[in-house]
Amino acid sequence: MPGDIAVCIKQVPHPDCLAKLSLDAARGTVNREGVPAVINPVDRNAVEASLRLREKLRNRVIALTMGPPAARKALEDALAMGADYAVHLCDRAFAGADTLATARALAGGIRSTGGIALIICGNTTIDSGTGQVAAQLAEMLDFPCVTDIEEIMPEDGASLLVKRAWEQGDIRVRVRLPAVLAVNAKINQPRLPNVLDIMAARQKEIKEWCAADAKVEAGCVGLAGSPTQFWQAGEFHARRQGEILRGSPDEMVAAAVDKLKKLELI
Amino acid sequence: MKNTHQVWVWIEHHKDVINVGSLGLLGKARELAQQLGGGNVAAVLAGTDSPQITEELFSYGADDIYLADDKSISLFDSESCAGFVAGLAREHKPEIMLWGATSLGKEIAARAAVKLDTGLTAHCIALDIVEIDNVTQLAASVSGWGGNAIIRIICPQKRPQMATVKAGIFPPARFEKRQGGIIRVKAAQSPARIEVIEVITAPERADAPEQAEVVVAGGWGMSSLGGLEQAAELAKLLGGSLGGTRPSVDAGWISHDKMIGQSGVSISPRLLITLGVSGAAQFTSTVQSSKFIMAIDKNPDAPIFEMADLGIIGDLPEILPRLIEKIKAVKDKK
Amino acid sequence: MDFNLTREQEMLRDMVREFAQRELAPKALALDAKGEFIHDIIKKTAELGLVGIITSKEFGGTGMGHLARMLMIEELSRIYASLGFFFQTGQIGMYAIENFGTPEQKQKYLPALCKADKIISTALTEAGGGSDPSAIQTTAELKGDEYIINGRKVMISEAPVCDLAIIVAKTGDKFSAFIVEKGTPGFTTSGKENYVGLRSLPVGDLVFTNCKVPKANLLGQEGKGLAVAIGGISAVGRTGVAGVALGTAEGAYAAAVKYAKERKLYGKPIAELQAIQYMLVDCNMEIETARWLCYKAAVLLDQGKSPRDAGDDITRCKLYSCDIASKVALRAIQIMGGYGTIPQYEITRRLNDSIELFTAAGTQEIMKNTLARSIIA
Repeated sequence: MPGDIAVCIKQVPHPDCLAKLSLDAARGTVNREGVPAVINPVDRNAVEASLRLREKLRNRVIALTMGPPAARKALEDALAMGADYAVHLCDRAFAGADTLATARALAGGIRSTGGIALIICGNTTIDSGTGQVAAQLAEMLDFPCVTDIEEIMPEDGASLLVKRAWEQGDIRVRVRLPAVLAVNAKINQPRLPNVLDIMAARQKEIKEWCAADAKVEAGCVGLAGSPTQFWQAGEFHARRQGEILRGSPDEMVAAAVDKLKKLELI
Repeated sequence: MKNTHQVWVWIEHHKDVINVGSLGLLGKARELAQQLGGGNVAAVLAGTDSPQITEELFSYGADDIYLADDKSISLFDSESCAGFVAGLAREHKPEIMLWGATSLGKEIAARAAVKLDTGLTAHCIALDIVEIDNVTQLAASVSGWGGNAIIRIICPQKRPQMATVKAGIFPPARFEKRQGGIIRVKAAQSPARIEVIEVITAPERADAPEQAEVVVAGGWGMSSLGGLEQAAELAKLLGGSLGGTRPSVDAGWISHDKMIGQSGVSISPRLLITLGVSGAAQFTSTVQSSKFIMAIDKNPDAPIFEMADLGIIGDLPEILPRLIEKIKAVKDKK
Repeated sequence: MDFNLTREQEMLRDMVREFAQRELAPKALALDAKGEFIHDIIKKTAELGLVGIITSKEFGGTGMGHLARMLMIEELSRIYASLGFFFQTGQIGMYAIENFGTPEQKQKYLPALCKADKIISTALTEAGGGSDPSAIQTTAELKGDEYIINGRKVMISEAPVCDLAIIVAKTGDKFSAFIVEKGTPGFTTSGKENYVGLRSLPVGDLVFTNCKVPKANLLGQEGKGLAVAIGGISAVGRTGVAGVALGTAEGAYAAAVKYAKERKLYGKPIAELQAIQYMLVDCNMEIETARWLCYKAAVLLDQGKSPRDAGDDITRCKLYSCDIASKVALRAIQIMGGYGTIPQYEITRRLNDSIELFTAAGTQEIMKNTLARSIIA
């Protein structure tokens, strides 16, 4: 396969800590203080899928993320797993991006990196969970895109065979390169980096790029470039004026069944 | 030209069956169109011109149908579909476009949003028309961070306003038949960069919770039952589906494809009976469209009782056998 | 003073934590019940570079150091102490060979040990007592190019499964250390004790009957065998046991906290009862104290301090961590009430494992003797 593999990853709050996040209701931003951050779980499957392809195709794997300075850690994890080098899109101008603005920044990063034949993403993130970025990135780069992928088989240098899931089963698809693929967690088990890989990761390069380095206009990315906006936040509640039954188990069950019958629910 | 088709719905279908989420969205689109001042609802359809499908679209709320004239456009080809729908939108300028948040639908919507340079809000759990700064617009609610918060998102400057919604959030509703028309539109296939080799349709999940009229949902509290048998019996008795919350899936009682909640399916049955479900927002936000909710749990403070139409506070091993017996008696009488 | 881990150490800890979740957490209960050596799991840790974590790269190790090793043992023991304890015993021998062995011995043994292709035991204890090395009765007589070894070592970790052993025997009135390979005529292993804790590590005897060992297998200088053994037992054994104790306490504590937050009594979680809170506070304080004693000893070794110079810190971390592990486990049992002693709740295992640690790599009382000598010296 001529060209490299870019794997797009995101740093997210630790899955066990999602409940600890609080919302700044005025600004619509999330208060992440004190919540540990990790690489988005399925993004590790994406890194693993990239590395397995590299073993067959002998190209390079480049880890790419957009995020604040702390997101560097997610790139370090990808480097320890085996990525060759990393690109960190890090600029205040990127902050507050919706999926469209995120895809724009990533597309800029991909173009500026150059020579990318395949982009692999995780299917969805655990924090915002839109699952839109991969397809939007593909559209911007004018690449084909397949999401929900559970299997990737390289063919000749010009295409890949993939198995994607959908609600009613599986679809086997041949996709011509260059392309964007989004994988789900069933595709593989991400490798654990061994001790030597961990120690070697720090020697690998992480390029830190601002918006200008990625050749994107600051007004097109981040909050300024996002067509969707936060309006309001509130606590979720779905109250109903329900009736709570009292009495012995027999009495409660009798009353309940009477009511269901009356409402023609049974 | 007057904009007559204000709210559009992308129709997903397979083997002459329309996705239940698409049908539900048509109904919701009617509601939104009315709030916008009485605009029309259009279904956008590609890959088929089966009269069975078009008839059904009219009876579930479509005023008109935009139909891609090239039948060979496959719904699996998100590039061509997005190209078709974006071209159409550029010409007719709808206010709102809705999509089922399906594996394929999300891909098409995402690509179309880029083509139209507009905003797309994912996995909405509510859609409302609101007025902000004198602009009438769509507020799309999504749940955030484990479901504990509702976040309302707007797209003030760009049109159309686009949103994806999981099946089950808006239950399909039949409407009086429209006097609608089928508008055939020229559609071009994109250069084939994706070739579908094989479509493997999994055996129909007859008892899928998101399709069922009656759902019995088990939660962590089912552990006191020492097994699934009684819960399954209740579901069978009511001709319904047995699903469960995340803890009951993690515990291995319920299979993953029947997990109800934000990481699973959304449901909107006629009757939902919860067994030992405490009612975390991650669950309740996806069952709120259920017509009638009956909750059984031993903890009187469980949040599930706040959203139930009928609540029984008691131990499942005490309540469930009696409930089954009583319902059997009612059925036998009939 | 910087209390932060390096990024590498952090990544190592995360990696080991995930390994333990994947490979140990689902099986710990069954492994403990079975009580068989877990060579397959140990091989996996070797592939991750964990077995050779204090062995230099030159000899097939990964050379990440003693603090990294401490973090690893802590994380593994939090889920399943038997595996953590393997690194305690296994790495004593590796440390001794690297620090006292000839270049030939290092090349011959260390790469296979790092891969866990071979398992090594270190044997000092005899029936006359483990705490008093001068009670060693096993003899090694030099005849020509060979030492003739006679005697019996008891309660030796991994004895039933070891491929080689480092033993200390009397040469004249002094002691010397030897590497004895499995298959050497006159070297047999016997028995497997049925211990209540650390059940995936078989313990048994090493028996030497006119066992002929080539002169080249002398480890270190003749007559300096105790220094060889004690150096390894102190720097690697005692810190290792301390790490196992720390992780074991953490595992019990985590289960107790989770239970206390979930279990309701009088209409609210028992975690809101002050009696429970105080027990949790005691556990928390003790664990945090143990952790910093452990980390400090490991950091001193990483800074190049000899086991002797870091001796007091090593002694303190072993003494204190092993002291609190069983206390924490007992409190966890108390907090969990009737569930506490059901094996499926995995707290009794923590208690059983923790009480095995008292005697490992030197009893608590020997630790006190050592520290006392240092205080009044």
